[in-house]
Amino acid sequence: MAEAQKALLLAVGDRVVYPNQGLCKVTGVQAMEIANQKHSFFLLQPEEDPSSTIRVPQAKVASIGIRKIGDASEVQGVIAFLKSDSDKASLDWKARARTNVERMATGGLIGLAEVVKGLQVLSELRPLPPKERALYNDARHLLVTEISAALNVPACDAEDMMDVVLFAPGKERPKRTAEEFRAQGGEDDLAIGDDLMGLDGDVPLDDSEEGAGASEETSEENAEESDEGEEAPKAAAAGKKAKAADSAKPTKAPKEPKAFKAPKEPKAAAFAATGKKTTAAPKKAAAAGKAALAKAAAKAAPAKKKPAAKKKK
Amino acid sequence: MIRVATFDEYEPALVKQLCKVLYQAFAVGTEHVGMVPLPAGFAEPYSAHELLVKAPVVQAYQDDKVLYLTAKKLAPRKVSGIEIPTTGVSEYDHQRALVSSAHIKNVTDNATLLARYALQEIGHTWGVHHCLDHRCSMYPPWTPSFLEGEAIFCTFCREASEKKIRLAKS
Repeated sequence: MAEAQKALLLAVGDRVVYPNQGLCKVTGVQAMEIANQKHSFFLLQPEEDPSSTIRVPQAKVASIGIRKIGDASEVQGVIAFLKSDSDKASLDWKARARTNVERMATGGLIGLAEVVKGLQVLSELRPLPPKERALYNDARHLLVTEISAALNVPACDAEDMMDVVLFAPGKERPKRTAEEFRAQGGEDDLAIGDDLMGLDGDVPLDDSEEGAGASEETSEENAEESDEGEEAPKAAAAGKKAKAADSAKPTKAPKEPKAFKAPKEPKAAAFAATGKKTTAAPKKAAAAGKAALAKAAAKAAPAKKKPAAKKKK
Repeated sequence: MIRVATFDEYEPALVKQLCKVLYQAFAVGTEHVGMVPLPAGFAEPYSAHELLVKAPVVQAYQDDKVLYLTAKKLAPRKVSGIEIPTTGVSEYDHQRALVSSAHIKNVTDNATLLARYALQEIGHTWGVHHCLDHRCSMYPPWTPSFLEGEAIFCTFCREASEKKIRLAKS
């Protein structure tokens, strides 16, 4: 409430913070008539882009979250927060993203510090995904510019002061474990994070997929073992050359019998020959198929031989 | 264009190597403009910001970046009661940066480390902030890992600086 009241008492020349945009200067107040309604706007000039102007309806200043620049006491609060062993960021990336966006928009100076600190601590567990890295950079930029404006010091001093706290001189950053974050009650979604980052880690599989994969692997291994078991005596009998030949065989050779669907061919042939469905009596059809094949072979054999006989003549 | 000016004498090979690294990192022409006189009234350790303000102008164009090199120590800065180790300073999103080589032992053989400090300060002039990756030259310079890395940027900082450079070109 105090923030809102502070924001409502803007005057020309004030420096304010526009959430997610940075520092702006109030350059004037403009009355405009839009759709037969009179509105009053604050004209804000972003300090990083003085050529542009933002018009903010006076009635919406508080709801947008525009606020005056923090003072030295607020900066001291931020430094104390950065020094403290604060809560760890949630490992649930959705919850984390939601919280960070809220903090950036409405959290004020301490909200920016929370985003920076949270992501910084998270980066001690694992590298940040690109979007969070960009968010970290944005939050850091806004925090540095506001601290710089609040203390009236150059931006490099503001950032260095902040980082002396975050990166202690002469010390390496601590390495975090997921347990520390889990202790805070966050759900572990490390697998999703890794996937988002495009790391080389194993892609998490469903239980069913894992089971299938495992069974395939084990069956393959068994097949290989059985092959080795069968081949071993042969190789021993045939000597070293045979061993080398066996070892040169492709390892997936045992799979071929599985893919072989020989029994279907007689069925198809039977259906083609008799014109009857083979599903009702597959054995009879198979027998009929064999007979049909035999007949066809018998017919084909003389047909092939005849030209040869003619040639002989 | 990046212009390198020195307040003290450095070996030409060292400055040449530094210019080469800066050129490779930013893909912007880099040249050594020679030695410039130290403004009057400065005693070691120098006040970094004051020196940066009073340093002679060597820019040819308005958007030239200038890197001043000194072999003398810079006084640590104090902000809100916090003492900041100072190996260099820069004007964020502006033109000038200052790097001291006083803390580098045998600077002639340590061109990489000097280049790392220079990359960081010039990076700040492009508006790039400190980085989380200890291999990146934008990592805070008072950390032990900074001293061991190569004079390179991480992907994020490289892209950030490239974006700024593209926007700066008219």
